[in-house]
Amino acid sequence: MSKKLFALALSLSMVMTMLLAGCTSQQAQTSNPPAENSKSGSEASQPVENNNGGDAKGRVYWLNFKPESDGALLEVAKMYTEETGVPVKIVTAASGTYSQQLNAEMGKSEAPTIFVVGNSAGVRDWTDYALDLTGTPIANELNTDAYNLYDENGKLVSIGYCYECYGIIVNADLVQKAGHSMDEIKNFDTLKTVVEDIHARAGELGFDAFTSCDMDGSSNWRFVGHMANLEYYYEQEGETWTECPPTLTGKYMDNFKNLYDLCINNSLTDPKDLSVGGHDAAEEFKAGKAAFTVQGSWEFSNYKDSVPNAAMIPYYCGVAGEEKAGLNCGTENCWAINSKVSAEDQQATMDFMVWCVTDPEASRILVDSFGIMPYKNSAESTNGFLANAAEYTANGCYVMNWATNFQPNVDEYRAALTSALNAYNADQSEANWENVRVAFVDGWAAQYNAVNG
Amino acid sequence: MNGSLAAERRTKAVLSVILSVICIVYVLPVVAVLINSFKLNTFVKTDTFALPTGEMWAGLDNFIKGMTFGNYPFWNSVKYSVVITVLSTALILLGTSMAAWYIARVDSAFCRILYFLCVFSMVVPFQMVMFTLSNTADQLHLNTPWTIPVVYLGFGAGLAIFMFVGFVKSIPLEIEEAAAIDGCGPVRTFFLVVVPMLKPTMISVGILEIMWVWNDYLLPSLVLDLEKYRTITIHIQYLKGSYGTVDLGATMALILLAIIPVIIFYLTCQKHIIKGVAAGAVKG
Amino acid sequence: MNRKKITRGNTIRRSTRKWFPLFLGPVVAAFIIGFVWPFIQGIYLSFCQFKLIADAKPIGLGNYIRAFRDAAFTHAFWYTALFTVVSMVLINVLAFTVAYILTQNIKGSNLFRTVFFMPNLIGGIVLGHIWSMIFDGILGKFGTSIVMDSKYGFWGLIILMCWQQIGYMMIIYIAGLQAVPEDMLEAARIDGATKSQALFKVTIPNVMPSITICMFLSLTNGFKLFDQNLALTNGHPIITQSGGVSIKTTEMLALNIFTTYNNSSPNAHGTAQAKAVIFFILVAGLGLAQLAYTRKKEVQQ
Repeated sequence: MSKKLFALALSLSMVMTMLLAGCTSQQAQTSNPPAENSKSGSEASQPVENNNGGDAKGRVYWLNFKPESDGALLEVAKMYTEETGVPVKIVTAASGTYSQQLNAEMGKSEAPTIFVVGNSAGVRDWTDYALDLTGTPIANELNTDAYNLYDENGKLVSIGYCYECYGIIVNADLVQKAGHSMDEIKNFDTLKTVVEDIHARAGELGFDAFTSCDMDGSSNWRFVGHMANLEYYYEQEGETWTECPPTLTGKYMDNFKNLYDLCINNSLTDPKDLSVGGHDAAEEFKAGKAAFTVQGSWEFSNYKDSVPNAAMIPYYCGVAGEEKAGLNCGTENCWAINSKVSAEDQQATMDFMVWCVTDPEASRILVDSFGIMPYKNSAESTNGFLANAAEYTANGCYVMNWATNFQPNVDEYRAALTSALNAYNADQSEANWENVRVAFVDGWAAQYNAVNG
Repeated sequence: MNGSLAAERRTKAVLSVILSVICIVYVLPVVAVLINSFKLNTFVKTDTFALPTGEMWAGLDNFIKGMTFGNYPFWNSVKYSVVITVLSTALILLGTSMAAWYIARVDSAFCRILYFLCVFSMVVPFQMVMFTLSNTADQLHLNTPWTIPVVYLGFGAGLAIFMFVGFVKSIPLEIEEAAAIDGCGPVRTFFLVVVPMLKPTMISVGILEIMWVWNDYLLPSLVLDLEKYRTITIHIQYLKGSYGTVDLGATMALILLAIIPVIIFYLTCQKHIIKGVAAGAVKG
Repeated sequence: MNRKKITRGNTIRRSTRKWFPLFLGPVVAAFIIGFVWPFIQGIYLSFCQFKLIADAKPIGLGNYIRAFRDAAFTHAFWYTALFTVVSMVLINVLAFTVAYILTQNIKGSNLFRTVFFMPNLIGGIVLGHIWSMIFDGILGKFGTSIVMDSKYGFWGLIILMCWQQIGYMMIIYIAGLQAVPEDMLEAARIDGATKSQALFKVTIPNVMPSITICMFLSLTNGFKLFDQNLALTNGHPIITQSGGVSIKTTEMLALNIFTTYNNSSPNAHGTAQAKAVIFFILVAGLGLAQLAYTRKKEVQQ
């Protein structure tokens, strides 16, 4: 038995050796063209590239950032290839590995033609590899300039292909059941009254105020990425940052603490158990176990069947005049075109992008997956939470922009803040909050120095 | 005399009991994976050691979810994991045993340099070469399951050659000489005479390589063309949603599927494996 | 006799030599692709600023200066050193003890051997996922978790490594112990040596080769540890010092290099590469020194 296996293994490896020999001779031929391209980038090398691809029309390769949109993108890609014959490759990076994948893929010979540059740090990192999109057909399709990212020289590095909003999602039916109404909630004090009342009567009502606020990797971003935005937003004092500020003042830390404390102390899970994680906030909300959850518009299709009367309200946190607050609107989903690929590939990519936002069928699929696309001719949004956001704006409320996108060295900054919040959750002492403040405010400056120094 | 014998027997019995307890503790992690793979996601962290009964029971849902989520067929990642592991291990065993025999027998200056480089490469951390290696692999189109074994051969050759050379040096020359006198050329001598003798080391090297390649995540995720080819470990990483939401029940189900083949393989040939590791290590 | 052997060896050498392309060719080619070239390129890049390898600009020693100034890197170094020493000692002592017991004609020793070796086949990321579930399952009962205290993270990783590696080392020690000549032990017994005297004076000196190889393997495994570190704690808990500089208390060198590479800074890649070179010099120096030292001891005995 083992002898047979052994013989099989040996013969297999013999085949491999031959393959290897074959490969080495092939390498000599195939490794040349990319090298030539990167050196000259001249027209002479382009025919070679075309022969390689086997298609004179160029290629499209979208390195996707959102795992939950993977299916929609594959569907659209297939449609486009059937219609035009242009190959569209979609690769989605596993969660949390986008920058690693981008670093690896951009160095390859068949590099992505579309990649995502979603924040100021990304702009600085990748501006040398991004086409200036000013005045291009895709830029002309936009209906707003709000989600565009420019580098310091005014080059349009990336443009939003969708935007999102986040805030506090409320199950209106449960609030009513508890004897309150949505109209009562106007600011932090009224929110607090309702939340604390529900939490106090949780046993009798059969549901609690907030869903679990896990601080493990599956949910900590709701706080260190999103809720933190209220501090940054108010710190802008009515301006909007155009680049990352080197330091923060932390002036609105108390407001962040107000809302954060309200969430963790009035939820289904004891704050001490949050670092372990493993609770599923979305399931809790859908099952009607809690009336409030901190989430974003991307969850709309997930919630709409189980919680038909869900509405999104702003981060009320006790800031003066917050009765006029709206939702946090912004995006990290911005397209950039790789400037280092051939002119054909760039053109093919541009055509594909325009098709995505103009073709009725394609844009329908994409809008259903993304929520909304800020383009003149794309399909209408059916996302209820984005409709909430639009209502607030129509009623004259201010939009809270995503200042959180400026977090310097974002992964490390958030990790340190998460760790400090973990310690605070276990023991809500003054000293532990001071550590949170240090990670929040001083950590910003330190990370800023680390990446700019 | 009798008393001390009885005392020794008692000590041995006590040791047996202690070891049995340790054994049970030793398999607990695997048992934990097994029971949690049938448990609903939300109970995995809160009731880790409870049996999946009553409201915790998820049946086969975790397996179905783990295998069907996303848009990449799970069976393809199983297939590619197997292809990569089998081809890489076979290639490493064949290539390095031949090279090691040549190095040990020819022993020229070049051979000594190569041997030194191999020992040297054993202590080079993967992080040292990970980005340059993925770049080189891409340029040479080594980004498919059928060609990535070349990368594994290159990065894994050091340890294998080190172990083979140690073993070959301990084989007496006479046997090979007898073969040469019978008219065998070096190729026939190697395959008919040397390879059978190398079997224990083959097994011990093979185990090391199978373990490495089957469980590897970083190298294939950086090198492979992820649109077409994924391995089981890559598939498990994809279970995370875009905001890092993770279904622990499904993760445990996939982990179970990933370790079952290894455990079955081990249990069926454990005698050879243990013998091989022992022989390879002592001589190496 | 001796001379004859050399000349006879020569005939094999001569006849084999011309088969160089077949025997060495494939491995040398792959070795260059998979190791030599990336390694040389890696050293070059540690002196460059680069986003992609194609457009690296040499900048001198800047990356090394940044690497040494990085408090997190120094912390990771000492943490890795501590972890390596503790895990090396524990793994080897435990593996040797188990091997010693199993060679004393214990009932069921074959079964024990089979079970103890098994975890060795489960590796990397998967191992981290399994143990993070187990530790959190236990610590969760006490209202805490593995990411809350660096002590948990440290001992958790030690337990994980012991679980994985003791079996392999045990097999090597068993083989070594079985090779100890029975007559030497017999002679010691007749001379009136106690069991522990026999162990320290006869057995251990005779298994020095096994000790060498096990120490070398556990040393380099400890230093190079990455997957398990990433999956178990990913560096948590993190302490933010008063200046805002944060230290990941359970981050080891390989993970530090990996996270540095993914930082967003123009110098991130170069600095990570410089750290990797420093890391390599450490591992190489330590590993080879340890090997040389224990080999010398072997010769002395």
